[in-house]
Amino acid sequence: MTLIRAELLKLRTTRLWWVMLGVTVAYVLLQLGLTIGFAGQTGQNGRQVFPSRGTVPFQELLWGLGSSGVLFPMILGVVMMTAEYRYQTITTTFLATPRRERVVVAKLGAGVVVGLAFGLIVLALTAVAVVVTVPLSGGELVLSAKVLRIAAGVLLVLILYTLFGVGLGALIKNQLGAIIVAVVWVFIVEALVTAIPALQPVGKWTPAGAGGAVTNSGVDLGLGTAYLLPAWAGALVLLGYAVLFSAVASATTIRRDIT
Amino acid sequence: MSAIEIRNLRKAFGPVRAVDGVSFTVEPGTITGYLGPNGAGKTTTLRSLLGLCTADSGTALVNGRRYVELPHPLSEVGAVLEATNFHPGRTALNHLRVLCAAARLPRERATEALDQVGLADVAGKRVQVFSLGMRQRLALATALIGHPKVLILDEPANGLDPAGIQWLRGFLRYLSHDQGAAVLVSSHVLAEVEQIVDNVVIIAKGRLVRQGSLAELVSNGDAAVRVRTTGVAELVPALERAGATVEQQDGFLRVRGLEAEDIGRIALDAKVVLSEVTPERSDLQQVFLELTGEGQG
Repeated sequence: MTLIRAELLKLRTTRLWWVMLGVTVAYVLLQLGLTIGFAGQTGQNGRQVFPSRGTVPFQELLWGLGSSGVLFPMILGVVMMTAEYRYQTITTTFLATPRRERVVVAKLGAGVVVGLAFGLIVLALTAVAVVVTVPLSGGELVLSAKVLRIAAGVLLVLILYTLFGVGLGALIKNQLGAIIVAVVWVFIVEALVTAIPALQPVGKWTPAGAGGAVTNSGVDLGLGTAYLLPAWAGALVLLGYAVLFSAVASATTIRRDIT
Repeated sequence: MSAIEIRNLRKAFGPVRAVDGVSFTVEPGTITGYLGPNGAGKTTTLRSLLGLCTADSGTALVNGRRYVELPHPLSEVGAVLEATNFHPGRTALNHLRVLCAAARLPRERATEALDQVGLADVAGKRVQVFSLGMRQRLALATALIGHPKVLILDEPANGLDPAGIQWLRGFLRYLSHDQGAAVLVSSHVLAEVEQIVDNVVIIAKGRLVRQGSLAELVSNGDAAVRVRTTGVAELVPALERAGATVEQQDGFLRVRGLEAEDIGRIALDAKVVLSEVTPERSDLQQVFLELTGEGQG
């Protein structure tokens, strides 16, 4: 616990965390705005783009949007690890905690707190959006088990992507390199494997596919949802990635000589 | 038990034997200078001692244990490695607070340590505006945070101005001779540390060249006495009869084999006027260069 507190203090005493929080909030607000704005409208294919505002599927869809900003806490997770190598503070860190795997574990612990905080904030934004738009459109607010599962899923996805970032940063100690890998992964690789039906059997095992399973509202946004794993399996897959990366990193890159 | 004990330490980077069988110890209350030219293996030795590098063989112990086995490392060992180990966006005080949190030290230690090194005024400033000298002081505050009794400093004088070096010397002397700390300080410039070190360990190309007290190292050189006189013609044969070797130089004599007092007596007997009699300390820097094999070049 002491080491987790130290890691959180490291984050709080530099400025990046609130830049990333700001970007996450802006991105989620954009997603909420677009979804609310286009709700109920009919696309070129004659189908509704999003369910209309008064409906229950609309509420469920909104609740899951918080997970769209995963890239930014993930980058924060990457930086929690790579900044130590970039500024050589890793020397001081390992002098204070010479058992290096403890440092990795503490960073994962701090990542849980960061992901949870980001998740609670985006859920609060979502709650405001739901509470304002649904009654205005004559709908009735629901707090079903499904809504709770989706909201919990958003928390879980944000936490696990932060951990995924910490693990990635530990493997690729170069900060810019690790961030580029994260961006390419989230915006290109995952976007492709979850969008192209032929690749979806692979896509469901990626972090995005697993994240989609956890926050799946059942609303088909044109890519299909049937291919996804069950929610619990998605959560396990995400956790698996974070643990795997961190364990591999602890056994390899983190062990290397600091010169 | 020695504060620092290095036995037969070896560490290679690929084909380069950075440290090749080095052994020495550092006792509490003493300052040991770890000297050698750049690239001699000093930094690798210190980093192996601190658990940052894994040695290929041999042992490097602090207070009888390997660094990774110390339960509260910052309270036993303080290290100053490079001047750049700070996040530029973090303030000096916050840098130390993070360390206090990680090492379970009371947070007041952060302020105290800044006071100790004279950085209290800039505690709230981001490290990016610090000069190299201020960074070195902050690095020293980092090392002192847990009141360690063993201090390891790698080229701490780099980047310090003459006043800063003077301050550092006084500070290290206080910590070791007054507070009983064992201090190991590396340098590639003997002159930087020769005023404060009690013992010297010299390495070159990863191998130990010489170790001992500073006095032993100095007496290794062949001491001479510098003599100025108006009666060279009378004095030189008189000195040579007394067993000295005399070297005539531009305007003065260098006399070996006699003490200053003997030379004065001989001059008196020969009724020769002396205008200078100065015992020369052997030129330490010269000894150092010869020992490390750079003197011939």
